[in-house]
Amino acid sequence: MIQLYNVTKKYGGDSAAVRDLTLQITKGEFVYLTGASGAGKTTLLRMLYSAEKPTRGQILINRQNISRIRSCQVPYLRRKIGVVFQDFKLLQSRTVYENVAFALEAQGKKRFEVSKKVYQALKEVGLEHRLQRKPLELSGGEQQRIAIARALVVDPLILLADEPSGNLDQDVTFEIMDLFKQANARGTTVLLATHNHSLNERFPRRVLTLDQGKLIGDQQPLHV
Amino acid sequence: MLDKIRYFILRALRNMRQWPFLCSASILTMAIALATVATFFLVVVNIEQLALRWTQEIQVVAYLQKTPSRNNITLFTKQLNSIPGVESVTYISQNDAMKRFKKHLGEDASLLEGVSRDLLPASFELELSAAFRNQQGISTVIERLENIIEVDDLRYGQKWLERFNNFVQMLRFIGVVLGGFFLFAALFIVSNTIKLTLYARRDELEIMALVGATMRFIKIPFMLEGAIQGLLGGLLSLGFLTLSFVFVISRSLNSFWLTPSSFDLLFLTLNQQIILVLSGVVLGVLGSLSSLRRFVRI
Repeated sequence: MIQLYNVTKKYGGDSAAVRDLTLQITKGEFVYLTGASGAGKTTLLRMLYSAEKPTRGQILINRQNISRIRSCQVPYLRRKIGVVFQDFKLLQSRTVYENVAFALEAQGKKRFEVSKKVYQALKEVGLEHRLQRKPLELSGGEQQRIAIARALVVDPLILLADEPSGNLDQDVTFEIMDLFKQANARGTTVLLATHNHSLNERFPRRVLTLDQGKLIGDQQPLHV
Repeated sequence: MLDKIRYFILRALRNMRQWPFLCSASILTMAIALATVATFFLVVVNIEQLALRWTQEIQVVAYLQKTPSRNNITLFTKQLNSIPGVESVTYISQNDAMKRFKKHLGEDASLLEGVSRDLLPASFELELSAAFRNQQGISTVIERLENIIEVDDLRYGQKWLERFNNFVQMLRFIGVVLGGFFLFAALFIVSNTIKLTLYARRDELEIMALVGATMRFIKIPFMLEGAIQGLLGGLLSLGFLTLSFVFVISRSLNSFWLTPSSFDLLFLTLNQQIILVLSGVVLGVLGSLSSLRRFVRI
């Protein structure tokens, strides 16, 4: 599903955010991406949803080479990928319903289809009773659940999450993790960037470790 | 398709409702810019119109050195009539001139008692066709005229005409330069105001791009919003212009020394009004487009 071959990303100068990275993630896998701050986790994720282009190397998503993808094709790539951020990236002036519907509307889906799917997605994250609330009226955990519903409502092949539990306490984090596991169980490939080791202890999965842009570890879980 | 159009219009209207202050600022800016350009246009058009009226009253009067014989009068009249651009020729004898002068003096006509009839020279008055009522036309007529009769003096308001022509030329030049400048300034201000509104909504633009919206999908509601704001700005400027025309411009200009009594000030024609409103729409769309280029990146 995700293949990287000798991928390097430089932002000018000699220092590289990602160096000579080669890895493969198969369809339906759940993978943690760990490493200290500045290790290159966010850069790697940004390259996967084509917010950045690699300086060198090839990236294949679902067998499509996106290393030199044309900007007019980027939206179609992103429709296959759901992204969840640490700061949620919700529209504060819109209701919960509108925030989730936004993803479907942006893809030009029909109105009746939108309302059905949005309700379904919000039900899956347990927020179907908060449709008309604004994000700021909700807790951090609930806001992250809206963001997850927005990422999942489009049935993505891949779910990328960049420190999704960075602003949340332990209990809420585990609730969020359950949502990722459910998505994964339905066949979505999940790549979750985190430096929270307790997640791996509680939900052991394959772990990719980055350090100064290099892949220094690729551990399979002892038991799943 | 209809679903999409409906969605775009709703999005544009909702955006405007969500940011009422920025939206009003854009509309007002456009209205002021358009009204300024249109006011200047009106001033130029009216002065040109006034100039045209004045030139209609232009005639050439040729005062003769010697009073011609009766035969020569008919001959000269015929020859002068044949000059291209001359519409009619009237001979004013010394007698006629004196009569006119007396009439002009009215009650003071008694002043002329005892004055010889030969005091005033005989003259030919030439009415010109519209195309020749300008400096160049008059010059060609005069050139031909001087070949036919011996002229003592010529009157056609030459210095005045020359100055007025220069004035109108200058006014046109200033009109083009200032009009262009105002339009450019309007575009600049509008695009910057829209940039502000986009800056306030950069999160929305970022998220749209993240969830897979195409460039077109992101841009259309903003362009539509620019068009709606431009339309409202155009209508507002037209309203403002109409009110100021009725209550300020026409009153103050009508009392101005330049205005002949029969002169009605011109307002924008229906076509020009439509162009003004459409310019608002174009301004709004162009302003949005130029700002979107900076803010929307996929």
